Amino acid sequence: MTEGVATANAALRTRRRPRWRISEHPYIWVAPLTLLLLATYVYPAVEVVRFSFTNATLLNPEYEYTLRSYQALQRNTSLGGLLWITFLFVFASVVFQLLLGLLIALALNRGVNRNLPGVSVVRIVILSSWIVPGVAAGIVWQLIFSEASYGFLNSLLRDVGLPPVKWLSRPDIAIWSAVIANIWRGTAFSMILLYAGLVIIPKSLYEAAAVDGASAWRQFWYVTLPQLRPILLINTILISIFTLNTFDLILALTGGGPGRATEVLSLYAYNLVFRNFDLANGSVIAVVLLAISVVFTFFYIRLLPKENET
Amino acid sequence: MKRSFVATLLACTVLGGTGALAQELVTADRVGDPGAPNVLTFRTNPGQSPNNPSPEQNAAFKPIWQEFAEAHPDWQVQFEFFSTDIGGEHARLLEQARAGRAPDCVSVDSFQLALFVQNGVLQPVTSFFEQEEIDDLFPFIREGITGEDGEIYAWWWGTDLRIFYRDTTVMPDAPATWDELQAAASAAAEAGKEGVLFNGGRWEGTAFDWLAHFWSQGGELVDDTGKPIFGEGDNREYMLNALTFYDELVESGAAPSRVANIATYDDFNAAAIAGTAASFIGGHWQRSQIREGMSPEQFANWEVSEIPGPTPDQRATGTGGWTVAAFSDDPAKIEMCVALMREVFMGPANEVVGDLPTRQALFDSLPRFQDEYFTQLRDYLVNGKARPGVPIYPEISNQLQIMMGEVLAQTKEPDAALTDAWNAVNEAYSRM
Repeated sequence: MTEGVATANAALRTRRRPRWRISEHPYIWVAPLTLLLLATYVYPAVEVVRFSFTNATLLNPEYEYTLRSYQALQRNTSLGGLLWITFLFVFASVVFQLLLGLLIALALNRGVNRNLPGVSVVRIVILSSWIVPGVAAGIVWQLIFSEASYGFLNSLLRDVGLPPVKWLSRPDIAIWSAVIANIWRGTAFSMILLYAGLVIIPKSLYEAAAVDGASAWRQFWYVTLPQLRPILLINTILISIFTLNTFDLILALTGGGPGRATEVLSLYAYNLVFRNFDLANGSVIAVVLLAISVVFTFFYIRLLPKENET
Repeated sequence: MKRSFVATLLACTVLGGTGALAQELVTADRVGDPGAPNVLTFRTNPGQSPNNPSPEQNAAFKPIWQEFAEAHPDWQVQFEFFSTDIGGEHARLLEQARAGRAPDCVSVDSFQLALFVQNGVLQPVTSFFEQEEIDDLFPFIREGITGEDGEIYAWWWGTDLRIFYRDTTVMPDAPATWDELQAAASAAAEAGKEGVLFNGGRWEGTAFDWLAHFWSQGGELVDDTGKPIFGEGDNREYMLNALTFYDELVESGAAPSRVANIATYDDFNAAAIAGTAASFIGGHWQRSQIREGMSPEQFANWEVSEIPGPTPDQRATGTGGWTVAAFSDDPAKIEMCVALMREVFMGPANEVVGDLPTRQALFDSLPRFQDEYFTQLRDYLVNGKARPGVPIYPEISNQLQIMMGEVLAQTKEPDAALTDAWNAVNEAYSRM
């Protein structure tokens, strides 16, 4: 009898203290990543915002909190031009990276469907442009656009009897040269995302459209594009953020010149901090860039499929 | 069997030991025995290290590094390298120095040295040099390395200067004045050449090289307190004269419009070697570079002279160069850093890389500098002018680069471009 009571009590204690399961405590799983993100992303961003409310420079360790840098931004007569150049650079880059990325992805997808040889090689070749660091890409494109007698593009133009173009020395052309270089570099990323989107479109949709007698163009318009819509939107936002933050390619290609013809906001921020040692004003520009990126990110989050939609 | 195994083991041990003994004392990023107990970190340009990209200079440097390693068997020097973005590298270095994380010893660009001295991150090295050696320095060099307390904070071992290169088959006589250069370059352009090339893109070289034309008239960028004065009074007039001179070179076709995007001296080398340029304003070190790329016959046609001035008597040239400074406060490391200054850079490195000696006695005695070319340069150094070592200089340079780009691309008139640059610099100065 006593033995039976003891066993029952032990069973009760076991029931009262349920077994600790790590899967029921997600914070422990998430903590290392959270700490890493806080240290490498959130902390620097907070520091940038903090410095933007100071008069800090790299030349003087002492600083005080002030709104002077934001007031200086309002007085900055170059800001309008910088914003316009940045808008041109981002808008043109995004539009053409999307279009070219889509074209290449469609061609690759068609190639795979038809078992054409060499599709993988083409994919690797295109991807290589994305792997090349921005500074290296800038130097390569500088050689291509060079207006010296040995410049690649102008040599081609001369060979076909056309006059040379002032790719980098005319301000109204230089910005488009920077855009071309950036399109070359960024198209591969769009291609990869869109190709992934194309692959998952159910073949049955195309088969049904074919049965209905839809032409290739109508299949593209009524099947491919609607199915790709979420990926297209996400791609647009991602490459907009990437392009907004691009400065290394321009730094190597034109340095922002002639004059300020190719100086985008991110390069301006870099120049302020690392050339003029002006930490506070550079941080203000970085905050402006951060704000624009946050708006893009907000749209990105809204467009991401919800869990119950997947 | 057992005996042969022991013999093999012994042989391996002996050979291994010999291998360790024969371990290279000089590698691309280390000088000294890797097992040496003391380490000195030294950040520098690849060209001033065992990682020099020129095979010729690398070979000439090797015995110097070897001798240094053998003379200091308890030390190994570990190299860190600057990228080509010297301005950005120095900004990061200053931040590191403030946080106490700078390398022990660093090659500092001469015009940035004042920023480091003013921030108190360098160690004085006066006691390591004889007064005779200090007095032997060219005056602008001595001034550049001396702090307000009279201490020397670095050793400026090599200087450079800007000169005018010309192809004598196209431009037989050296132009002495702006007008003569305009006429000679226009004639060369009519003959199908690029008349004259110079830096005009967004980088330091553009402002620095062009400032020779401003300085030659007696212009000053800042006053004694470091306040910008280049946009007012006579200085404004000198600026406009120099700016209009460059504007007219491009407008007339004497200089190609592509100068608005030239942001490296390498472009001049390429054009000279390709035979497309008649002349250019470049650095004295480029002579050896174009010699490497040209046939002896072609190179014989190229001569150098002083940068033309507004009149033959008004000449100036920008002088830069590199210093070595001690950042560590460890006395042993400071001593080792000074050993580098003295045993590698003060003389031997001048011989290898061709940077001009900063001491009269070395200029007179080092074999490399005894030929006609360097004798010419020694005369030009009389008109040498260093950039002011003041905190506002980087912004002045930045605005001058923007001004030059706008004028050379013909998007702004010189007067408007100068006014914008002047206002922007004053706005920046007011925030300092």
